[in-house]
Amino acid sequence: MNAMPDLFAGAPDEALLIAFANGDAQAAQALTERLLPRVLAQATRMLAIQAEAEEVAQEAMIRLWKQAPDWRQGEAQVSTWLYRVVSNLCTDILRKRRGGVSLDQIAEPTDGAPSVVQQMQTNARMQALSDALAALPERQAQAVSLRHLEGLSNPEIAEIMDTNVRSVESLTARGKRALAAIMAGRKAELGYDDD
Amino acid sequence: MMMTDRNDDILEDIFAQARAVAPTPSDDLIARVMAGVPVPQVASQPAPRRSLGQQVLDILGGWTAVSGLVTATCAGVWIGVSPPESVQDYTATYFGDEISVSLFSEEAIFATGDFFDG
Repeated sequence: MNAMPDLFAGAPDEALLIAFANGDAQAAQALTERLLPRVLAQATRMLAIQAEAEEVAQEAMIRLWKQAPDWRQGEAQVSTWLYRVVSNLCTDILRKRRGGVSLDQIAEPTDGAPSVVQQMQTNARMQALSDALAALPERQAQAVSLRHLEGLSNPEIAEIMDTNVRSVESLTARGKRALAAIMAGRKAELGYDDD
Repeated sequence: MMMTDRNDDILEDIFAQARAVAPTPSDDLIARVMAGVPVPQVASQPAPRRSLGQQVLDILGGWTAVSGLVTATCAGVWIGVSPPESVQDYTATYFGDEISVSLFSEEAIFATGDFFDG
């Protein structure tokens, strides 16, 4: 990305969004530079497939542009809103994917270089994690990913998921237990036998 | 219990690897995102085109003024076609048989005759 001089340094995301809604096209570029990496990272962690993650990131940003004129100042943070949109878009894709992608579809490394093998193993683990999230009830998958992949606090997750902290704790605990069980069943193929 | 701890450790390890995933958006993705940016609504959105009828309406002062004009015009036509008694004499004077205009006086005709005779 060709970074433009940061005319909006220090300005909160919401200020940029309002500036964009008021006709400042440069605010859109600044928002893209600031938010797209975060949006893409969240989608990639949940989906593990680059093309799908990019599709989600693009759609989330388009929804942000559409939302800009109607943005209610002070009601929610832009980041919170985006976490929710990306999370929902990802669970939509995971729902469709259930039972679709397996580790068998991931190519074996073509040479024995440790870095390649290691990268393939990491990819396989990320794909296995994404498939395991797809197997969870959607609210559990969202809570677990926001907590353990994005590192958000329970109050933040509660706001994103429009629920209370106690509910988040419950969703996260049950989701994590289910994930652990699923991943335990695949630990040999994911390279955890000899650890 | 040991096995559960081991499974939790595996999961935590995978979580840590996932958190380390930080892809850089490709130029293609950035271009697609920027292509989806709508034209700023306030600054450069052109004024909507207005039809000729709309423009005429604006010049006359809008629908309120035009409705007054139409009412006044209809009333004028109706008064002309079927004038009330109070204005009937005036219309008869202007449009009836009583109007007679003499363009040439008798003296002038005779004077012309004199001219031809003479």
